[in-house]
Amino acid sequence: MRRRTYRHVSVGYVLVDVFLVLALLLWLFPLYMALLNSFKTNGELFTNILAFSEHPTFDNYVRAYQKMQYGRSLLNTVFLTALGVFLIVAFSSVAGWALCRTKTKLSNIILKFFIFSMLIPFSAIMIPLYKIVTAFHFRNSLAGLSLIYAGLGVSMAIFLYHGFVKGIPYEIEEAALVDGCNKFQVFFHVVFPLLKPITATVVITNALWIWNDFLLPLIVLSDRKTYTLLLSTNTLFGQYSNDWTSILSALILSALPVIIFYLFFQKKILAGITSGALKG
Amino acid sequence: MNREMQRKANLMLLLFCLPALTVYIIFKLFPAISGFYYSLTNWNGLNPTFDFVGFANYQKMASDSDFWRSLGFTAKYVAAFVVMANVMALILAVAIESRRHLRGALRTIFYMPNMISMVIGGYMWMFIFTKVVYYLADNWHWTFLDHSWTGDPNYSFWSILIVSCWGAVGYLMIIYIAGLQGVPSDLKEASKLDGCNSFQTFWYVVRPLIRPAATICVFWTLNSGFQVFDVIYTLTGGGPGTATQSVAINIYEEAFKGNTRFGYSTAKSMVLFLIVLLVTLVQLSIMQKQEEDL
Repeated sequence: MRRRTYRHVSVGYVLVDVFLVLALLLWLFPLYMALLNSFKTNGELFTNILAFSEHPTFDNYVRAYQKMQYGRSLLNTVFLTALGVFLIVAFSSVAGWALCRTKTKLSNIILKFFIFSMLIPFSAIMIPLYKIVTAFHFRNSLAGLSLIYAGLGVSMAIFLYHGFVKGIPYEIEEAALVDGCNKFQVFFHVVFPLLKPITATVVITNALWIWNDFLLPLIVLSDRKTYTLLLSTNTLFGQYSNDWTSILSALILSALPVIIFYLFFQKKILAGITSGALKG
Repeated sequence: MNREMQRKANLMLLLFCLPALTVYIIFKLFPAISGFYYSLTNWNGLNPTFDFVGFANYQKMASDSDFWRSLGFTAKYVAAFVVMANVMALILAVAIESRRHLRGALRTIFYMPNMISMVIGGYMWMFIFTKVVYYLADNWHWTFLDHSWTGDPNYSFWSILIVSCWGAVGYLMIIYIAGLQGVPSDLKEASKLDGCNSFQTFWYVVRPLIRPAATICVFWTLNSGFQVFDVIYTLTGGGPGTATQSVAINIYEEAFKGNTRFGYSTAKSMVLFLIVLLVTLVQLSIMQKQEEDL
């Protein structure tokens, strides 16, 4: 009896293994096909799409690199993401803390105000936002765009910080106040270091959001000099839609920075995503 | 005295919240509110002046067949996406959590598509759907693949769905795994001792306990499903014609391509906003009630 149960379980176990392997192959298939064919010539690509290249070439990458102005686009994306994330952390950590520690009607109202707005979808504000962008001369301005990301991102981040501060004993701050710190000093020297775990979550979720966002840059940026990686890739696709090998290299090049980042920090990223999702 | 202290506390609070409030009001709240106002005007984006037209834009929508088609397409897409993505994510989560080895590696790989933008993912799949699939159909005689996966709306609906799921399932899976890890193992062992098989244990013991995770995942898929843009933009561009336009694509096209009828497209976006709000609120109240009933 016991043996039968054991055998039954192990057959099931193997079946699940088979399922997982098949799912894994399907999951990696597009990435694998893009990588595989990015080293071929266009002629080779059409004779056998599944085979390894017989004469692997880096020409496609050189072409893609130049056509999509990779260096510039990458720098733009890094700048935009870094500044956006910095603003979100700077603005919302202090606000989330103050909202949690101030027990007045006003603080309650402001918090509700932020939380409610999380339900407003981007497409609902897209067009009026475009008008503001024009009025502020933010078109083609990466710094301006990062301010917009701050405006869209603070509510969620404040919500996360607010929840986290609740779990920090107030006595620590009181002690610092008694020692003669003012409120600003208390925040910067005592509270902010304690917020590190939630700051990591805020940084990771927002960095990924800004880095991978397409629609907002599509509306705001029209000068090629300000293009992000995604916009450059998209342009390439429109202009050379038959040159698949250089498009595939461009896709690999644009995906590469995040993939590398992910492979190095996967534990932190997955933990950050999980806590962001469960609290949000 | 007390009131004086409260006033001081509020001033301090406003000071600390000032930067966040400023960007939030300018870039989120004001657009949302002014959006409602613009939806009542005939603003066309080019003319500096425009007139108040009341609910004319909303009336015009009633006879706009493209808008209705995009709404129908989005509804169909959301229904299929919510079910498929959540079922796939849950199956993967359970399968991975039941492994003895390599759980971390599996999680890492299945989450990978979430790291890259759906624009890049969409174009990678575009290559599969327009090149690789035909190669398989011709050389391996997999004739069931021999369709226009991005050109024929009957099939491109499924391509769009496949790519969206590919891009979303990893995220949902992570949340479901966190839920599964929260189920106490002694409960599962007790049910095994009571004679449950694996499926019964899952259905009667685990499933009720991961409801909070399901609430989050369904909420997220509803929300992102209604706003689907990137995947459709890259795969079909909403075409052929307007056959695969989602509401977000329809609004974008209306506002930024060809005719810049901003007033009219903001009216559409207000409708989308109301639909998303209503659907997600109903979903949250139903699913949270189920959680409480336990």
